[in-house]
Amino acid sequence: MRRLFNLLLLVASLSLTGCGYNQFQSLDEETKANWSEVLNQYQRRADLVPNLVSTVKGYASHEEKVLTEVTAARAKVGSMQVTPELLNDPEAFAKFQAAQGQLTSALSRLMVVSENYPNLKADASFRDLQAQLEGTENRVTVARNRYIEAVKQYNVAVRSFPNNLTAMMFGYQAKPSFTVENEKAISTAPKVDFGDNK
Amino acid sequence: MRARWKSLLLGCGLLLGMAHSLAADGLLELPPLQTAVTDLTQTLSADEQAALNQKLSQFSQQSGSQVAVLLVPSTQPEEISQFGIRLAEAWKIGREKQDDGVIIIVAKNDRKMRIEVGYGLEGAIPDAIAKRIISEQISPAFKQGQFYQGLNLATDSLIKLIQGEQLPAPTQKQRQPHADDWLSMLPILMFAAIIGGAIFKGMLGDFPGSLVTGGLLGGLAGWLGATALIMGFIGLAAFVFTLAMGGRGGAGTYGPYPGGLGGYSGGSRGPDIFSGGGGGFGGGGASGDW
Repeated sequence: MRRLFNLLLLVASLSLTGCGYNQFQSLDEETKANWSEVLNQYQRRADLVPNLVSTVKGYASHEEKVLTEVTAARAKVGSMQVTPELLNDPEAFAKFQAAQGQLTSALSRLMVVSENYPNLKADASFRDLQAQLEGTENRVTVARNRYIEAVKQYNVAVRSFPNNLTAMMFGYQAKPSFTVENEKAISTAPKVDFGDNK
Repeated sequence: MRARWKSLLLGCGLLLGMAHSLAADGLLELPPLQTAVTDLTQTLSADEQAALNQKLSQFSQQSGSQVAVLLVPSTQPEEISQFGIRLAEAWKIGREKQDDGVIIIVAKNDRKMRIEVGYGLEGAIPDAIAKRIISEQISPAFKQGQFYQGLNLATDSLIKLIQGEQLPAPTQKQRQPHADDWLSMLPILMFAAIIGGAIFKGMLGDFPGSLVTGGLLGGLAGWLGATALIMGFIGLAAFVFTLAMGGRGGAGTYGPYPGGLGGYSGGSRGPDIFSGGGGGFGGGGASGDW
């Protein structure tokens, strides 16, 4: 009886491996790790904003519109509750994306405006901040791409047969990723005016 | 049911697509990393290249951190930052845990450059500093066509910055690449001795079976590149081990074999070949133009 039980246990664990359960675990962890990196870099960007705004204000205080836009977008990003569950909730994920996208475009407008102020451009601390912002935007891109890649692997694993049966049984759902549309909005140069979206 | 087949097909398709995109996505093919300085534009003279190479590989040997330079005609259709991270992921400059590598990329016809900084050096070389190196040292020199001078200055500054960071000393590369082959196979040889020993002993009896196993193992080690002495030693060890192994086909005691020899550290390299050590990059650094 006991041997039979052991045998069953063995078969069960083997079949879990075979049906992708263990694969889900490692891929799931990987997407989570990549996601934290994305958040990390977004946070780093948000932290740069106050300094940047005050530096620009010093030289271009009458560019109120752009400055308030950046501040508002920063505030919105800061007020968002970012929980790990966000990853499994496409709606919240889309909201998060939109808020970050707004900050991205507001910041790039700020950078375009600052081109008109030679004194600002010559300011050493502004240049350092600009370099930091550029670097952070690049890190965001890298982190997002790695997240997209990890989600792709995870989703392929969850959706393909016979793994999808296991996934259904244990409630593993496909994860949302950054959409192409949004990707474009973020990677295009700042010339586009998004007008009055909210 | 149909939906399931569809998803299966889709999954297969995606996988195939991924494999495919590596080969023919229209991106610039990444050059292999052979020396610290790779010049695909014939900008640097042989002397200049040798001088930079010497400086950088010496630095790599002394400190363990690595700085590499790549000159390409263009990174199109990619932005230099996209190309940079792709290159960094392929070259893996720097050590694995320290992530202490830096790559200077110059796209000559695009008139663009980038300093790609590994995770571990983001503190020693913040983006703002990387940007200053570009705008204050590389750009002015490049504007006058002095590519070597610009790169020389920049690598000097980078090395100084890296030296200011507390990083562990380089590990000694003790083993010769030659001896590693059979050494890395030792666990497999051991396994072969256990299995083969059991079989031959069962077939031929204790003593002849052990003798055959020992001979075969020695031969196998020789084939893998061990010297005659080591071959003999392995053969003898396998013979003694097989003979001592309890009962026919029984689970052998792992007696006479010294433990802990399995830890073969990959990436042994000759003194003058420059290769990445597994360093990670996350997009840090700065880009610029001239």
